[in-house]
Parts: sequence; C-alpha cells; structure tokens
Amino acid sequence: MWKRLSLLFLPLLAFACSTFGAQGPSSVPELPWLTLDNFSPGIREQIDEAYSFARSHAEDAVASGRLGMVLQTYGLLQQAAVCYRRAMQLEPNSFQWAYYWGAVEADQGHCDTAASTLRLALRIDPTYFPAKLRLANCLLASAVWDASERLFAEIAEQHPDNADAYYGLGRVRAARRDPAGASEAYRKATELFPDYGAAHYALALTYRTLGKADQAEEQLRLYEKNKIAVPPSGDPLLAEVRALNHSATYQVQYGAELERQGKLEESAAAHEKAIEIDPNLVQAHINLIELYGRLGRFQKAEEHYKAAVRIDSGSAESYYNYGVLLLSAEEYARAEEAFRKTIEINPFHAGAHNNLGYLLERQGNFPEAETEYRKAIENKPGDRQAHFNLGRILVNQKKFQEGIQELRKTIEPEDENTPRYVYALGAAFARAGDRQNALRYIRQARDVAAARGQSTLLVSIERDLHTLEASGTPQ
Amino acid sequence: MKMRKPRSQSTLPRTNPQSSFGRRDFLRLLLSGLAEGASELSKATFGNPLPVPLFREVAEEVGLKFHHFTGAIGEFYMPEIMGAGVALFDYDNDGDLDVYLIQGTTFDPAQDPRRTKFPPATGWKPGNRLFKNLLSETGKLQFVDVTEKAGVGHIGYGMGVAVGDYDNDGLQDLYVTNFGHNVLYHNNGDGTFTDVTAKAGVDDARWSASAAWVDYDRDGHLDLFVANYLDFTVKGNKRCFAPTGERDYCTPKMYQPAPARLFHNRGDGTFEEVTEAAGIGAALGPGLGVVCADFNGDGWPDIYVANDGAAAHLWINQRNGTFKETSLLAGTAYSADGLPQAGMGVTAGDFDGDGDEDIFKTNLTNEGANLYVNDGRGKFYDASAEFGLLLPTFPYTGFGTEWIDYDNDSRLDLFIANGAVNRIESLRGKPYPFGQPNQLFHNEGEGKKFREMTSVAGPAFALTEVSRGAAFGDIDNDGAIDIVVANNNGPARLLLNQSRSLNRNHWLLVRLEASHGNRFAMGATIEVRLRGRKLLRRAHTDSSYLSANDIRVHFGLGEDAKIEELMVKWPDGKHESWDKIQADRFVTIRQGSGKAVSTQG
Repeated sequence: MWKRLSLLFLPLLAFACSTFGAQGPSSVPELPWLTLDNFSPGIREQIDEAYSFARSHAEDAVASGRLGMVLQTYGLLQQAAVCYRRAMQLEPNSFQWAYYWGAVEADQGHCDTAASTLRLALRIDPTYFPAKLRLANCLLASAVWDASERLFAEIAEQHPDNADAYYGLGRVRAARRDPAGASEAYRKATELFPDYGAAHYALALTYRTLGKADQAEEQLRLYEKNKIAVPPSGDPLLAEVRALNHSATYQVQYGAELERQGKLEESAAAHEKAIEIDPNLVQAHINLIELYGRLGRFQKAEEHYKAAVRIDSGSAESYYNYGVLLLSAEEYARAEEAFRKTIEINPFHAGAHNNLGYLLERQGNFPEAETEYRKAIENKPGDRQAHFNLGRILVNQKKFQEGIQELRKTIEPEDENTPRYVYALGAAFARAGDRQNALRYIRQARDVAAARGQSTLLVSIERDLHTLEASGTPQ
Repeated sequence: MKMRKPRSQSTLPRTNPQSSFGRRDFLRLLLSGLAEGASELSKATFGNPLPVPLFREVAEEVGLKFHHFTGAIGEFYMPEIMGAGVALFDYDNDGDLDVYLIQGTTFDPAQDPRRTKFPPATGWKPGNRLFKNLLSETGKLQFVDVTEKAGVGHIGYGMGVAVGDYDNDGLQDLYVTNFGHNVLYHNNGDGTFTDVTAKAGVDDARWSASAAWVDYDRDGHLDLFVANYLDFTVKGNKRCFAPTGERDYCTPKMYQPAPARLFHNRGDGTFEEVTEAAGIGAALGPGLGVVCADFNGDGWPDIYVANDGAAAHLWINQRNGTFKETSLLAGTAYSADGLPQAGMGVTAGDFDGDGDEDIFKTNLTNEGANLYVNDGRGKFYDASAEFGLLLPTFPYTGFGTEWIDYDNDSRLDLFIANGAVNRIESLRGKPYPFGQPNQLFHNEGEGKKFREMTSVAGPAFALTEVSRGAAFGDIDNDGAIDIVVANNNGPARLLLNQSRSLNRNHWLLVRLEASHGNRFAMGATIEVRLRGRKLLRRAHTDSSYLSANDIRVHFGLGEDAKIEELMVKWPDGKHESWDKIQADRFVTIRQGSGKAVSTQG
C-alpha cells in the first residue's frame, strides 16, 4: 500500500511543486531588466545611478522605490510597477510605495490590480485623498458604480472644495442615467473650478439630455475656452515623480502648457531649460522663435531661428515662425523669402501661402497674391482670414460678385473679428453699387463693433455709414 | 549600454521562510497546492471549452501571400507606421469575394528596396495586389494574384481603399488613397480596370487616409468623401523622441491637419469638388477613419470621421447638399471626460438592437476605445466603461474594427485589429517593437458587458503583429463572417470563421439591387423581423480603417430560422418588404420586387 501511495504521491508531488511555486507566498521580485542603449545620455545616467543604488541596497525599500519613481517619470510603467512591488514587499507599511504601485497600474488600465493596491494604500493612510480619487476613477472605469459613487461622495464630504470629486460623482450619475443628479454635481465642480473644461463639457451633454439647449450651448462655449484645463492635482507624491524628469522633451511639453496658459515668460524659460539639457532639440528653438517674437525680443528670436535651421535645415516651421517675426518687424523682403522657403518644404502650409499672398498684395502683384490666398484656402478651407484676404483682393480688382462670395464666408461664427469682416462685406456691396446690402451690413458691423467695444473701428464704420446714408451714392 | 542583470535572489541574506517548514507542514502545503492546482486546471478547461478555434488563419494556405513593405530607412517618416488597408469585394461578379491589398514603397524613388530597414523578400513585387478568389470556379477557397492582368497594381505609398460602383454599371470600382496622389480605378467588367483619376477629377495629392462612397444627395450616384490626415512632407520630417529620449514616430500634433474632401458625382463619370460648398471645410481635423450612416434617423446619410488626437467630426446631412458639424453637442467628439483621443478605426452598427446606429471608435494605448450609444436622434453618450470595453482596450492601439455577428447568434460582436505606433516597452530590443494581439468581443445581450473572447478565439489571436486595416465578409460563402487583416510591415492574414461548426445558429446573406442608381444600394438599411425581435443592418463597404468590406448584408439569426418579414429602406427613401425569405442562404433582393411600405405613421 505504501508503495502504491508513494507512486501516487510522486507525480502529484511533481505537479504540486510546479503549482506551489506559482501559488505560494509572494517573494520579493527581482529588479527589472532594462536595456538603455538608445536612451538619451542624461536619462540613461539618471536611471543607471538609481539602478546601481537599488542593486547595492537590495533590501532597502527606498532604493527600489526611488528607482521606480525614476522609471515612472520616463514612462517605463511596467518596470516601475515591479520596483514598487519590490519596495512594498520590503516595507509593507509604506503608503508611498503602495500608492505609486497603484498609480502606475491605473495608468496602464490595470484597474483590478490598481484597485486592490490602492485599497491597501488607503488602509495604511486613509487621509491621502488623491489615492481615493484614483481608486474612485478606477472603479468608474470598471463600471463599479456603487463603490465609485460612494467613494466620490466620501471625498466630496471630506474635501468640499475638491472639484474632481464632484466631477466624478457627476460621471457616475450620468452613467446611471440620472442627468439631473449629474448636472447638479457637474455644476458644483465648475463652481469650484470655473476653468474645468471637462466638467463644462460633461455638463453641456447633460443639459442636452435634459432638453436645455441654451444652457448646453453656454457650457460648450465655456468648454471651448478651457478645453484641457483641470484642477491642480494636489498630489505631492506624484509631483515628486514629475520633478525627477530631467528630459528636454518634458521641458518643452511643460513650456507648451505654460504658453497655453498665456504665461509666455515662463514658457520661454522652460524652453531655454530644454535647450540647456539638449541644445539640438530643434522644436525648443522653433517654439522660442515664436515666443520671443511675441515678447518683442527680436534678436533672441533670430538667434533661435539660426540655431533651428542649423540643426535642421528642413524644418518648415522654423522658416515660417521666422517669417512671421520678420513680417511683424516690417522686414518684408526677408519675410517673403522665409515663407517661400516654408512652402518649398511644405507646399500644403496654409499659413505660409496666406502670408505670402499678403506680401505679394502689398507689392501690387494681385494675380499671384490671389493664387496664394486660394492655396491657403485649399489647405485650410475654414480659414476666415484667408477668405477675407481673397475677398478683399477680388473686390480691389473689381471682381465684386466673387469677392462678396468670399467675404460672406467670413462673417460667421461671431467673434472679435466679425465686426471688421462684416464691415468689409458691407463696403464690398457699396463698391458693387448695391446700396441696400451695403447699408444692411455696415449697420450690422456698427452694432457688433459697439457691442464688443471696438471704438476705433466703430469710428471708421460710423463715418462711412454716415457718408453712405447721406449721399445715397455708392462709395 | 546594457544594465547588468541583478544577482539572483538566492544570494540575499534574508531567510526564505519556507526552509523552516517541517514534513507535516510540507504535506499540508502539498495538499493545498494540489487543491489550488486542480481548481486552476478546471478553470483553464472551462475558459477554453471550444473543440475548434473560432477563427483559423489560412492566408498562406489559400494563396493569399502578401507582405506589407514600409520603405523605412530609419528616419521615422510618419506614413511608415500608419498603413495599410485591404478591400474585400467581388470584382468579377462571380459570387465570391476577392481581396485587394494596399502596399507601401520607398519614399525616394531612387532608393533600393533591398537597402531599407526591412527589405522585402526575394520575389516580392511592388505595388498593390489583387487576388482573385477561385471559390466559385473550383468550389475550393483559393486565391490567385491577378494584379497585372487587372491593371490595379499602382505603385505608390499606399494607404487605403474604398469600394463602390460610382458609375452604376453593376461593377464595383476602387478608389485608392495614398500618401501622395490618389487613384480611381474603373472596373471594366472584363477582369481589368482603368485608371480614370484625371478624367474623373478626384485626385488629391495630400496624405489621404480612409475614403467612403456615399450618395449624400440621394440622386442615385455615389459621391466620394476622402479623409485627409496631416500636412507631413518627407522634406519637412520632424525628429521626435520618446520620453526616454529615443527616436520615435511623431504624434499627429507635430503637424497640421489636412482638410477632408467631398466630391460630388455628376453622373457622367466626372466629379465636382464641393468641400467648401457642402460645408465640409468648416472644420478641420487629422482624419483617419470614416463611416457613413443615417445617425439621426432622418433618412439621409451622415458622415462620421475619426480624427487623430482631435475632436471627431459628425457631419449631419442638412438634406440640401450641405452638412453641419455637430460632434461636440452630439457627444461623439471626445471621450466621456471631454478629452481628445487618437481616433483611428471606426464602425457603426445597431449593437443593442434598438433600431439606431451606434458608433465604436478605436484609440491609442492608454486611452481605451469609445462606444458611443445612439439615443435614436443622433445624440450619443460614451458607454465604453458600462459595456466592459474601456479597460480591455486600454493596453492596445486599435485600428481596423467592425461590428460583426461572428457566431450568428443575432447580436453584433466586435473585432479590433491592434498594433502600436510607438515602441512598446516589453518589446524593446526587437527589430519592430510595435506588435499587439487583435481582440474579439462577444455581445452578451441587452445591457450586459461584452465578453472578451480573444484567449479562446484561436492561435490567430495570439499573434502579436502590427495590425492596421481589416475587411470583413463571407469569403468562403458558408454563412459566417471572415476577416482579412492587413499588417504593417507584416503578412496579410485571413481569419476564417469556424463558428458554423460550433453551433447551429441560422443566418442570411443579402445582396441588394437598387432599381435606379446606386446599384448596390450603398447605405440602404435592412430590418429582419424574427419572432419578437428586429435586427437592423446596413449595406456598406466603408468603416474600419483604410479598408472596404463586403457590400452584402449579413444577419446572424440565432436559433430562430423563421423570418417573419424582411424590410428594406432603399437609399432613395422608398421602403419595401418581403415575407417569404428563408434562412441559411444567399438572397438577392431587387428593388421593386417587394411590397411597398408606407413611411407615414
């Protein structure tokens, strides 16, 4: 019997060992294997340093965790997750490693793992609300409505000024087909953070569902003003990760974000930092041409133009931005050269065609200018400025009907340019001898200019309107 | 520089707790390990109960030998990573589907293909390829390359293809999009095609992506919508980098979007460009995927465009020759949280059986796909999380996609062709580190999450290739929808559907013939009424990514073979019904042969 039993046990033993190895208590994972061959030198050095430290301090959770942070900041999330898991095994009561692990798993869409890890983190420190928010968002993505809603509500109660919590609450309610509840939550989110683009958009869709068309349109307008603005994350732990990013491209991205916020000086500084890290990052130079141009620092802009074309003589953007700079400095001949160079590299560049057209028009070369404006429109059919330019040049060549047709395309949508476009349309009708339409549009231009407080333009419009009304003859 | 591998754990001074176990403990652990092992085994068996895989990859076996060539030389030109597409269509009207595959080329005509990063194999022929299906002639699924005879082997930097009978001669024509000049091939009906691009006036020298034939003004002539992508030029190629500083493909944000084009068919073999006049020029986006359907239920075809990294466009037909862009308020522009996503592949279908067209759009890794559910009036909400499609698609970059009822249970399922556009961390060091597996999702029914079937769909779904275009149709005429996948820098794949051997579900395949104009009834919808249920499908060749599908309309009927009524809403607005349609066959429905149905009330 024992012999039979042992015969039974041996294969089972072999089988069990193989499964036991897979099912047994967690062991500390090894550091991840990395290939850094093509990484940029600075990043490679940074990772190498963190890696060496982690290896030489194999039992030090901080060393593993720190490596994870460096990997995470450069987007190597899978490897970062391994490091965090390792750190957690070495220091099971650390909130930081549990949170980071949960965060990178969530970023990769592994919400099951993220949820359990974030729950673990919150058992260690229930007060860190960014962790709660991440968990709530993971539950939302997993369509676990009840738990997600409870968590968002809990955050909102504990942090009544947290716009993200209300936004999340709104999303759960919207998913549950409760538009009234959703709109209430979204409204609160936008009250707390008026620039919250996503919340305005979500509110617009909710109003749409509720049949409140005007309010939906209003929210869409607010959304368009701040599409990507979100409340500050208030997540110091993730800020620490971001601060480890020493790459030039990160500085350019940061600089672009600052530019979107209208912070031109800070944007320029970020781009200059990018160039300190990588002097050959041509995009940084290209962006600085524009930034310094807008800041009125012509010389600095020109320096970066020269650097950009030295690094990459095939960059259409470099020539274009320089051309715009020269145009604003009234250096027309050189601007023309820059735009022609742009078009040589990229024949589809609408902006270059438009600006070249303007320069040719200034020279009195109307046929070629018209051709350039048409090319601009062909490549960007909705470009009102190009339609305006084409319309104007056609009218100046007494091609009134064609010109009016082009100018009609400029009068919508209503924005700060509308008064002058409508004015131009009215003027075109006047020159074409159509007094009725001329009066109609010039009066409309007056009203819109007045509503927008465009006093200089208003003076000009009223003068022409007065002449037209008084004389009764075409101008 | 390679990082040295860490030393083995066995050198760590920490004591392995297992080493202190005694014999009794060991036995206990053995038993528990057994128990766990047994349950894993049963789970594994339960998770893969199918005697045959759902799909079997047979491309080489049946003579569909094609390998995509990117022409890459290490400069990371964007078009390299974006193509290409495939068409499934019956070019010779012999009753079976033929295959047209789009090919890349070198960017510099003087460049020797053998000196590129991924040189083509010996014997490779440049240019697009047409493979004739010999099924109807021989009874056996087999393909033969007839490109030279057909005259459709355009050599260019191919992107996509659209199929439609633009001149109403009963033969399907081809519109090929390129990075560069596009080509319109007229089907001559004798096995050959003629390049009529210049005569027709439908060229566009920009970087074109997906195109779609759509009779937007319902005059009986198919018009042409072309989605253009970016103003990228080889001369103006930018150097872009991954967060780690490595050279990588640029995102579309590094370039300006190129405007889409709408060409109105004059009915005489020529077209008029009406982009601006039709209002299409009012919004610009880096267009990739296109699908045409009546999204607001007013009987007129609308156009949905997936724009890469920007708001998608929903062009609602104003019924007067113009369109209005409404995607923002319609809820189809962005993700549920208002953020622009990539947007490559797109498909429309009534997956929830409520009688309207819902939209599914594929996106980039770490974005998740969108499932825009239609409320019947052209207003949508993103329900991808609710239906269990957000998280499973999150790790992948999706391209070609389509609603197909792969198991004929009457519910529309989902296939997604995946493949990255930026290097994948885990594939670092591989020569082409962009491969991802494709996915298959089963529609579990009303209100339920989709179930991912990828792991049980067969070895074909374990392939990690850089999939792009995908075309769908019944290639072997067995009543089940098959799939041709076009892989970037890889072989074409033919996934033959084997579900007919796994169930006894019924099916129907319908070919429509309109009586005047739009001969194949592109855009017509068919409603099949079963006992207590209605199934709505649409005749189309568009959707997916850069690809064209079988125009025949497929219905899975489930266990119910009794078709109570079949109703067609023709593109000209007329409705007809038939009540003697039998299941499990191919039927041709001719306009005028049914019972007219009033559209009032």
